[in-house]
Amino acid sequence: MEQLTLPLPLPYLKVNRDGRIVAYSALAEDHFDLSSGHIRTLVDEESINKLDRISSEAGLSPVKMELNMKTNENPLGLFDVHLQWDSENQAGMIFLPKDSSNEELIQKLADIQNRLSSSDFELLEKKEELENVLKRMDRLSGPFIPLSDTLCLIPLFGDITADKINTISESCLQSVFSGSYEMVLFDLTAVGEVHADGIGTFIQLVKTLKFMTGNVIKLIGIKPNLAKELNRHDLDQWVQFNHSLKEELTYLDQ
Amino acid sequence: MTHIEALASCLLEGDPDKAWACIENYPESARPDVYHNLMTPAMRHIGHLWETNKITVADEHLATATCDFILSRLSYGIGKETSAGKAMFLCLDGEQHYLGLKMVDSLFKEHGWETRYFGPSLPLEYALHTAENWKPDVIGLSVSIVYHLPKLQQYVDAFSRLPENPAVLVGGRLTDLYNLRPHCKEDTVILRSLPETERWIQNDLTGGQQSGTTNSTPSPPVFES
Repeated sequence: MEQLTLPLPLPYLKVNRDGRIVAYSALAEDHFDLSSGHIRTLVDEESINKLDRISSEAGLSPVKMELNMKTNENPLGLFDVHLQWDSENQAGMIFLPKDSSNEELIQKLADIQNRLSSSDFELLEKKEELENVLKRMDRLSGPFIPLSDTLCLIPLFGDITADKINTISESCLQSVFSGSYEMVLFDLTAVGEVHADGIGTFIQLVKTLKFMTGNVIKLIGIKPNLAKELNRHDLDQWVQFNHSLKEELTYLDQ
Repeated sequence: MTHIEALASCLLEGDPDKAWACIENYPESARPDVYHNLMTPAMRHIGHLWETNKITVADEHLATATCDFILSRLSYGIGKETSAGKAMFLCLDGEQHYLGLKMVDSLFKEHGWETRYFGPSLPLEYALHTAENWKPDVIGLSVSIVYHLPKLQQYVDAFSRLPENPAVLVGGRLTDLYNLRPHCKEDTVILRSLPETERWIQNDLTGGQQSGTTNSTPSPPVFES
């Protein structure tokens, strides 16, 4: 094993077909433990097959491969290894350490990706939470209030949407059916915006109640914007109207 | 192109949407099947591409990050109901191969375990600190690089001294290549594949014998990225 006097800026080894190190540069000695005199002891166990295969298939043209090497500093360091056989069956190998600043970049990229993916899933989670809250709000926007054995009141709060009316309908129908009410009051005083699909669903609810129970159904506290919408549906045969709950209760009292 | 090669190529492109489409096109939909028969072989295929000089380590990093994202998406939403027990999962200090560990974490969650997943490279002192405070029933370790093996013994020894005596599980690529028993305690459970891990979880549920196996038929290693 001979040390080359040529000052080479990268570690350089010359090996024969058996893997014996024939010559080495000064930097090769700095980087690697050359005491065994064999290339196999410098290469990570799991890179040896790769080196064997690539170098044996190489012919006389230069090849490049990544190998994990055992260095004096690090039990596992990644190198670009350039190898070329000469006519005397000896391979010159140049070892180019993979820049460690690359590793830093890769690490940073991974950190950012982790953050992105976790916030992505947090958003999804929040969306689910929000949907549950909305559903709950819908459920609470149409409480069923029995006023007497024969009279019940369902005040509606907020915007009238199909989702909300669907959510309310189930509990509303159940409650009305389970009692023996003769009159159902819908108080619409606290209604905000009215959506077309919401009003359609609401009218279905009213009709279902009418069909199934034959009760008197009264809509109370209709504001102008709601009146406009309801007018289109020819509701007179299904429901009665009253101006306010106060009037209705005074009337019922008499 | 097989499903496995198609997924590997999407992962190497770093395209999470295309990779997700590969998962959706795969005929099996159960998570353990997807993990064991599609994702693990795809990542092994990527390792093979490196060995045959077709790709570089940088490509592997990109594929790993993409695969990680797919795993997060696959396991999103499971584990809301936790009743089976508590398990924490970590890679030994310096160990960067965490995808298999993440799959195992997901399997435990799917079986109703409350889990804490620490991913790659967790120093022993942090691991011990969490174990002492959180008191898990199971501690899962992953090791894939040979020169990390001496640390395995340190971790196993430290965990075996915990007063709650948690079950210590060891997985990772090396379980299939070497006998890790000399680096572990007698009661350390060595798990060599995802199906073996699932069997362990099911046995645990029914209170069966929990020794793990060291001589079962070879199957693709678990904790490889």
